[in-house]
Amino acid sequence: MSSRKKFRLSASRVTLLYVLIFAAGISSILVASYYLTARVLDREVDAVIRGEVESLVDDYRRGGMLQLIDTLNRRADNWGRTGAVYLLADADGNRIAGNIGRWPNRLSSNGDWVEFEIDASEHGGVVAHPVRAHLFHLQDGVRLLVGTDILERKRLASRMRSAMLWGAGLCVGLATLVSIGYSRGVRRRVSEIAATCENIMRGDLSHRLRIEKASDEFDALSMTVNHMLDRIQQQTEVLRTTFDSAAHDLRAPLYRARVRIEEGLQHEDLPPAARSTMKATLSELERVQRTLGTLLQIAQAEGHGSELAMETLDFTSLARELVDLYQPEASTRGLTIAFSGSDSAQLRGNQQLLAQALVNLLENALKYVPSGCRVDVSVKSNKDSVVLEVADNGPGIPPEDRQRVLQPFVRLERDRPKSGSGLGLSLIAAVMRLHRATIELLDNNPGLRVRCTFPAN
Amino acid sequence: MRLLLIEDDLQAAEYLIKSLREHHHEVTHSADGVDGLEKATSQRFDVIIADRQLPRLDGLSIIAKLREKGDRTPVLILSALGTVDDRVHGLKAGGDDYLTKPFAFAELLARIEALSRRASLAAQEVTRLKYSDLELDLLARRATREGRTIDLTAKEFQLLEYFMRRPEQVITRTMLLEGVWNLHFDPQTNIIDVHMSRLRNCVDKGFSKPLIHTVRGAGYVLKDEQP
Repeated sequence: MSSRKKFRLSASRVTLLYVLIFAAGISSILVASYYLTARVLDREVDAVIRGEVESLVDDYRRGGMLQLIDTLNRRADNWGRTGAVYLLADADGNRIAGNIGRWPNRLSSNGDWVEFEIDASEHGGVVAHPVRAHLFHLQDGVRLLVGTDILERKRLASRMRSAMLWGAGLCVGLATLVSIGYSRGVRRRVSEIAATCENIMRGDLSHRLRIEKASDEFDALSMTVNHMLDRIQQQTEVLRTTFDSAAHDLRAPLYRARVRIEEGLQHEDLPPAARSTMKATLSELERVQRTLGTLLQIAQAEGHGSELAMETLDFTSLARELVDLYQPEASTRGLTIAFSGSDSAQLRGNQQLLAQALVNLLENALKYVPSGCRVDVSVKSNKDSVVLEVADNGPGIPPEDRQRVLQPFVRLERDRPKSGSGLGLSLIAAVMRLHRATIELLDNNPGLRVRCTFPAN
Repeated sequence: MRLLLIEDDLQAAEYLIKSLREHHHEVTHSADGVDGLEKATSQRFDVIIADRQLPRLDGLSIIAKLREKGDRTPVLILSALGTVDDRVHGLKAGGDDYLTKPFAFAELLARIEALSRRASLAAQEVTRLKYSDLELDLLARRATREGRTIDLTAKEFQLLEYFMRRPEQVITRTMLLEGVWNLHFDPQTNIIDVHMSRLRNCVDKGFSKPLIHTVRGAGYVLKDEQP
């Protein structure tokens, strides 16, 4: 579950990153081309103005002020058609010649370059025309202003700006949509694959990943996984039938052997030595039967999980009841068992198998924890998990053996003299796997702490 | 008691028939499912013992066919499939009891006795149970003997109620685990005996005669005289 959540996060992160990079790319291209274009236009305007100023200054140098005024008067007629602006003014700003009335008052300057606005009546209204001009100082404070109307250029720039903004917005929006769609698609496929795999892990090997016929990478992956599952299912099926029939074929003769010994024991004239041998054989048979039963139980929990009846149950009351069941026997052995638990811990599971796992944990404590020690059993219900802990202050299990003892038939060297099949913990582990719970063997300093964590209902 | 044993393992059947007859039961045997069903419907039996896996018709189908016809004869299923879920499934399918092979004969005997009397008391809706001088008030959850109230925990009361509903019947430890603690598997440790000795301390100690007795090799019985 958590890995799927992690994936969802990583998919959105990739999407977000993609959109951000894309947006940054698009914006830098558009901004760069906007400024380049604007600069080219500006330079063109400035070059025209500079040319004009040069030719006027030429006139002035050749023919003096009169020649200049004459040229200006001739050129000023063109205002409105070419958008050229001329003004020759004295030190007080009064017009000597040119096509605008007086020296502009709101004038922003940058060295010899100035910008200002002049009002012109157009289509029955007054429109402010921005003008860019070059200032040239002649003698005695007389100044020459040569400029051009840049309204059209400004309009063009603003149109270009909005077109670029729209374009960038559309591109980024589209990219966002596409990448959200893509990441959703990926997420859906991955979730689907994860869900199917979880079903399979719970023991139902008949599930297969869906092939979408898109022949994409996911289909290729799914097909490979499906092939793998086919193989695993085949092998499991062979193992299972072998195991089932072996178990069944062992049970029948065991049953007959037991029946025969019981029958024999009914003879009253049996020599005592024969009777005790037969009784010992009977209890050996019982041991074999028990081991076989546990093996079958493990096999069922591991392999036939989906066939088991699952119900919603209160794990706290189940654990409390079993602790109560073992309490008297524990106290005759000098052990203290204490139970503490949340009011209720709802869990979905197979009641009998969970009970069997709890019983195995309690019997392990009875068997391996020495007299005078204590065993604490607790069930805690959290928001997203139910945690069972069985902690004792007995001899514990060395860290290097803790994983190993969960395997079938593995027993600690020091426990050899005690009876047992080495299957108790493996059955618990199998039941935990069936319930998607984790089992941890921890150090209780001193002693053993077994922690089983179930996903909440 | 008239019993029908449907079992295809002839060796085992032979031993069971012999032992059951020694305990004064009348046994009819059938070696396959179809024949067994025919016998079950044509004659009256107190209890039917059927193997789960049988040639031609399996044990659970026999139960289904019987119940379809309205036949309520108690059926005890014997099975070599021993996992917990098989047991629960067998009971859900309409079997009245379920025993996993191999089992002790005493266990089978106790269960047959219990099944034949099940209809009488075990499932009845009663508010009071009385046996000898012992009385249980099921509503107030109170036990009295010779007019004195006996202090019992909730579980001890439940345990005693199980016996009171089956007076004079042999109750095995497995039956108690199933009936009182709802555990359909056998724990390795004998945990029942301690509970029984606590119960006997409460019920029998300080009274004129014991009511709960140990039956060697089988279990316990509630009876007002030595069995």
